[in-house]
Amino acid sequence: MTSELVIQDLHVSVSDGEKEVLKGVNLTIRQGEVHALMGPNGSGKSTLSYAIMGHPHYTVTGGDILLDGESILELEPNERARRGLFLAFQYPVAVPGVSMANFLRTAVSNVRGYTDQPAPSNGGGKSGVVGSNLMPMRDFRKELLDKMDEFNVDRSFAKRYLNEGFSGGEKKRAEILQMAMLQPKIAIMDETDSGLDIDALRVVSDGVNKLAGPGLGILLITHYQRILNYVQPDYVHVFYNGRVVISGGAELAHQLESQGYQWVKDEFGEAELVAV
Amino acid sequence: MTVKTMTLTEAGLNQAGVEALSAQRQEPTWFLDLRRRAWRFFEEIVWPTGEEEEWRRTRLTGLNINDFRLPEATGPVRSDRGDLPAYLREEMDSIESAGALVTENGAVRYHQLSSELEAKGVLFTDLDTAIRQHPELIQRYFMTDNVAVDADKFTALHAALVTGGAVLYVPRNVQIELPLYGITAVGGGLADFAHTLIIAEENSQVTYIDEMVSDGEGAAFHSGAVEIFAKAGAVVRYLHSQDWNTSTWHFSTQQAQMRRDAQINWMTSSWGSRLSKINLEMQLLEPGGHGELLGFYFPSGRQHLDHHTMQNHMAEHCTSDLLFKGALRGRSRSVYSGSIKVWPNAQKTDAYQKNENLVLDKRARADSIPGLEIEADDVRCTHGATVSKIEPEYLFYLMARGLSQYQAEQMIVTGFFEEVLNRVPVEGVRRKLEQSIARKIIG
Repeated sequence: MTSELVIQDLHVSVSDGEKEVLKGVNLTIRQGEVHALMGPNGSGKSTLSYAIMGHPHYTVTGGDILLDGESILELEPNERARRGLFLAFQYPVAVPGVSMANFLRTAVSNVRGYTDQPAPSNGGGKSGVVGSNLMPMRDFRKELLDKMDEFNVDRSFAKRYLNEGFSGGEKKRAEILQMAMLQPKIAIMDETDSGLDIDALRVVSDGVNKLAGPGLGILLITHYQRILNYVQPDYVHVFYNGRVVISGGAELAHQLESQGYQWVKDEFGEAELVAV
Repeated sequence: MTVKTMTLTEAGLNQAGVEALSAQRQEPTWFLDLRRRAWRFFEEIVWPTGEEEEWRRTRLTGLNINDFRLPEATGPVRSDRGDLPAYLREEMDSIESAGALVTENGAVRYHQLSSELEAKGVLFTDLDTAIRQHPELIQRYFMTDNVAVDADKFTALHAALVTGGAVLYVPRNVQIELPLYGITAVGGGLADFAHTLIIAEENSQVTYIDEMVSDGEGAAFHSGAVEIFAKAGAVVRYLHSQDWNTSTWHFSTQQAQMRRDAQINWMTSSWGSRLSKINLEMQLLEPGGHGELLGFYFPSGRQHLDHHTMQNHMAEHCTSDLLFKGALRGRSRSVYSGSIKVWPNAQKTDAYQKNENLVLDKRARADSIPGLEIEADDVRCTHGATVSKIEPEYLFYLMARGLSQYQAEQMIVTGFFEEVLNRVPVEGVRRKLEQSIARKIIG
């Protein structure tokens, strides 16, 4: 069965205020499709990505998010991850003292269901205890090192602390690596291209292209058109003032690149006023 | 005299107890005199009122020392580990050592030292034996110019009723690879006054692991002292772990004296006790010394842990580096106060002091009071203190990758301690520290 993420008339506010940031978003992403979501700064793109992943700072006030027909609104972020969602962060946080390999082994073990099983008596975890069973170290290590080579991530990163002291490009590569290890069905990539020089941009887009395929749906959120020189989206959506205002094919991205966002603002800023 | 026939249990923590204790152990007069002098100090020094600066944040409500009795301290010494109670055997088996001394309820239960070290002149024994067999050593070093008998009320009580603990003497140029390991176990209702005395002669090297564990859940009382002498060029690693049950009262005064080019790697960890009041001081007496002081604490429930540190720079060209990290659960409380003191002649001092606290629950509270007292002008002294909560963005990031909240918190807290863990010089100790952290995260 092809997985699909359906966002239905989604309204979202910031938890500590009345301010509505998303004002009725409609979007459907299926496995195997690449969607680009483009919009000016401050239009609510990042809020959409956080809301999909269940960030506690945002409250859904209306509409729904469905994964394979089931609402995920009540699920914790980790439960969403286990159902096959992945969020590549615009600004991945550095977590002091947590090594990438250690963290990723636990994450992969959860997502792949190892931790649901009691630990075998000869394994790494506490014998018979559910939750302490992790993916066998040898298997994990081999897969991690293979993926690091495939995605041009230096092997030393495994032992380094998560994102600590990573350059902007290294952080983005590390996000792609984690995505490759976690094998999501639907990935939301929030401004994965922001702050990257051309070389780093190429590494990231190569990674996205390698991962794209029938098993993965991608929502690529971006302000600039330039990553679309390297990644071919099937669909392009223009995001403005808290919702998708226009959808189309790749040609829409080129129109935005040549004409900027002013025409969107002219056309849909007006409409918003009329609607109010 | 009737006093001398009184059992320790009958005597209690008082003058009669002092006499009975000394009589039971058939101690020489000079040691009894030290006890009597200490007892007088104990009586003279007023009970903390809470007005004193060092007692303002740590109240002794609920403590009555007469609730505790002196251990009779009798029973066989085992030479086979297999004869030890399981909880002590497990502790012992966790770390590979060159010698071990297990004291339970004031009596030595197990003692072992490799014959190779014995042949080199290393002395590792309990205090009673050392008083009998090496009186000159004890007269020279025991509570003379390091920890003072009248340092404070609890130190005076300690000196008056001292029992158990370890004496470790390492001759010149003797370098011991494997650690020596001491365990002090105390059962409910008892008072413990263990003393650790380490003398590392010139250019010697030694690692000592000093652990305190409870026998059962009953409340006990501990008032201890640690004295370390690191002579010129000596390297001493002292790793202390306080892991009492959460009903036990813990008081400890620890001091290290360092001569020319001596090095001390000092680690202290506080997991248990109802209330702890710990004073740690390193004295850099001669040029070229380097002292490292690492601390872990992790109170939970209603525990109260108070650490005071002093980096006392009395000579030029010395360095000291302190890192204390604590996490707090439940309604617990921690107090860290630290001081770097640099005397006028201690030029070219390089001293560092950092205390970081991670408060995991709303009702827990951490106080951090760093301090500098600098009288020399050509020095580099830095200090810093933080009290923070778990960063919600860390939690969201880890959970978005599939970690449960518990797993994410555990990883963040372990990560918080990683900076100190990485600096612990003994692998087995590091593993135990990781286990203690994991256990405390649960609450």
